Amino acid sequence: MRAEPLQNAIGMIDADLVERSEKTMKKKKRMKFTAVIAAVLVCAVGIGIFFGNQSPFVLSLHAISSAEYPKMEKYPAGIYLFNRNAWISDQKKQHAYFGAGEGLDGFICATASEILSGDGTENRVYSPMSIYMALAMLAEVSDGNTRAQILHLLGTENMEALRVQANAVWNANYNDDGAVTSILANSLWLDSELPYNKDTLELLAENYFASSYQGKMGSDSMNRALRAWLSEQTGNNLKKQTEKISFDPQTVLGLASTLYFRAKWSDEFSKSKTEKEIFHGTNGDVTVPFMKKAIRNGRYYWGEKFSASSCHLEGSGRMIWILPDENISPEMLLQDEEALRFISSAGNAQGAWENKKDLKVNLSVPKFDVSFQTDLCENLKNLGVTDCFSDVLADFSPLWKESAETDPLAVGEMQHGTRVTIDEEGVTGMSYTVIEIGATSAAPPDDEVDFTVDRPFLFVITGEDGSVLFIGVVNRL
Amino acid sequence: MDDEKIIELYWARRENAISETKRKYGRYCYSIAYRILKNKEDAEECENDTYLDVWNEIPPNKPQLFSSFLGMITRRISLDRFRKHYAAKRGGGETALSLHELEECITVGKSLDEEIEERMLAKAISDFLRALSETEAAVFILRYWHFHSVTELARIFAFSESKVKMMLKRTREKLRFYLESEGFLI
Repeated sequence: MRAEPLQNAIGMIDADLVERSEKTMKKKKRMKFTAVIAAVLVCAVGIGIFFGNQSPFVLSLHAISSAEYPKMEKYPAGIYLFNRNAWISDQKKQHAYFGAGEGLDGFICATASEILSGDGTENRVYSPMSIYMALAMLAEVSDGNTRAQILHLLGTENMEALRVQANAVWNANYNDDGAVTSILANSLWLDSELPYNKDTLELLAENYFASSYQGKMGSDSMNRALRAWLSEQTGNNLKKQTEKISFDPQTVLGLASTLYFRAKWSDEFSKSKTEKEIFHGTNGDVTVPFMKKAIRNGRYYWGEKFSASSCHLEGSGRMIWILPDENISPEMLLQDEEALRFISSAGNAQGAWENKKDLKVNLSVPKFDVSFQTDLCENLKNLGVTDCFSDVLADFSPLWKESAETDPLAVGEMQHGTRVTIDEEGVTGMSYTVIEIGATSAAPPDDEVDFTVDRPFLFVITGEDGSVLFIGVVNRL
Repeated sequence: MDDEKIIELYWARRENAISETKRKYGRYCYSIAYRILKNKEDAEECENDTYLDVWNEIPPNKPQLFSSFLGMITRRISLDRFRKHYAAKRGGGETALSLHELEECITVGKSLDEEIEERMLAKAISDFLRALSETEAAVFILRYWHFHSVTELARIFAFSESKVKMMLKRTREKLRFYLESEGFLI
C-alpha cells in the first residue's frame, strides 16, 4: 500500500496534537447527566396534585422499561371517608421500610457542608434524597473504581446493600394518598443508537423505580418529553427552572431524578395572624410576611451555636428551623460538627438529642419561596467522586451490551435544582405575642419560648420515617 | 495516580507500574485497539502488548504526555496486527477505508520518497496540522489517528456526514499539496 508510510507517520505526529484532538472530542462528546430536579411545596391546605410515572409526552417516545409504583388508597376524608382500613393497610406496607435512610448521616453531612456553603449572601437549598437516588442509579450503571467512589460517598459497602437500601428509601418516602404527596421519581433517557444492556435497565426499574426511554438525543421531541417529565414529576412547580434543560445531540445518556413532596401542616398557621415584619437578611432589612402560631407542646432544641424548633406535617415528617446564634452565620454552622450532626439526624435521632425541651413555643417564621440551581460536578469531585467525570477513567460498562463498541464516556453535567415554598393558607388562627429572643444557645426558660426566625437561618424537611428530604440556607428574602 | 508517579514506577522497575497504567489507561488503550481491529480478543491482546512495550520503552524514555505515548504504541501494535491478519482477509472496515482515503494524499504517478524517514514525515504532518483550524485538525486526527468513522465524527461534532466527508476531502487535498511542495512526493 502506497499510503501505509503515511498512515504510520500520522501515528507519530506530535503528542500534543493528539491530546488536543482528544480534548476537543471530550468537549463535544460529553455524556450529559441530568441528575436531579427536586421541589417541595409545603402548604397548609390543598390536595396534592397527582401524577403517574408516565406522562403523555414521554409515552410518545420508545419506553424500554417502566417502573410500577405501589397502588395507594386515598386518605380517608370526604368521598374517601370509608377507605380507612384499606388506607391503613397501604400505609403499613410503606411503614415496613421506615428507617431505611439511617446510615446516610455521613453522606448528608458531607453534601450539606459542600453544597450549601456559598458566599453567605445567597439562598441555597438541595435535596439529599434526590441526589442519593441519582448517585445510586449512577453506581448501578458504572463499574470498577467509578462505582467504588460513589459507593464510598453513599456510605454503602456494595451494590447488593445499595439496591436494598435504595429500594427501601424509595418506599419509605413514597406516599400518594391525597393528603401527602411524596414521590421520588427516576428515569433514564437513552440515545436511539445506544446498544443498551436490558438487564441493567430492568435492575433500575426494579430497585430504583426508574423508567427508561429511548429517542433521538437533541431532537425537539426528546427535549420536550424530558422537560414535560421533569415538570410533571415536580407538580409543575419547576417549570421556570426546567424550561431551558435539554439534551444536546452529543448526549448519549441522561439520568433524571426528582422528588416532589407536598404535605399539610398538622397544626395549621392562621392566615389572619400573619404579619409583615422585618427580616434582617444579608441584602439588608426587608419587610416580609411572618407566619405565627403558638405550639403548646412544642419542642425546642439547642446546641453550642444554634437553637431550633419544628412543626409537624400531617401524615409525614417535620420541618425544622435552625437559627444560628447571634454573630454566627448559617455558613459557619455548616462547618460545625455539632450542627451538622443535628442536621443529618434531624429526622431520626432527635429523640436522642440531649439538648431539647418540650414547652410552649411561640413560633414566628417568614413565608418563603426559595430556589437554587447548580451543577454538582465540582461538588462531587471535592467529595471524592472523580472517575465518572473522566472519559479516560470512567467505567460505564454495565450500560452496554457485552459486544458493543462504545467510545469513552464521562459525566458532563449534573444539574440539580430545588425549590422550597412554605405558606399558611386556609387556617383559622389563634393569637399570641411574638417577642424576639436574643442569644439562644443557653437552655430556654422553664415553660415558654419565643422562636423568631428573623435573620439568616437553616431549615430541614424530613419525610415520615425521618429521611432528610431537603436542607436549605435562607440568607435573604 | 499521577502520570509522573506512574512513570517513576517504570523507572524504578516496579511491576505495579503496569497495573497502575492498566487501571488508569486500560480502557483508553483498549478502545484504540478495538477501533482498529474490531475484535474483542485481539484488542485485549494489543492492550496487553502495549504494557510490555511501555515496560521496555521506559526507561530510557520519559514521555511528556503519557496518554498519547501509550496511545501511539497501542495504535502501532494494533495496525501491525491488522495488516498481518485482517487487511487481506476482510478488506474492509474503517482501518482499511481510512488507508484508502489517505491514498488521495499521494499524487497519481508519484509516491512517497522511501528514503525519507517516517519520523520526518510525521514532523511535517504535525506542522501541517498546526496550520489548520482546531476543528479541522481534530476531525483529521480523529479519523486517521483514532480511526473514528465518518458517522461517529458527525455525531461528535454535530455535523452532517456530508459535511464531515467534505471537510476530510479538503484537508486531504491540502495535505497532498503540502507534501508535494515540501518534497515528500517524488
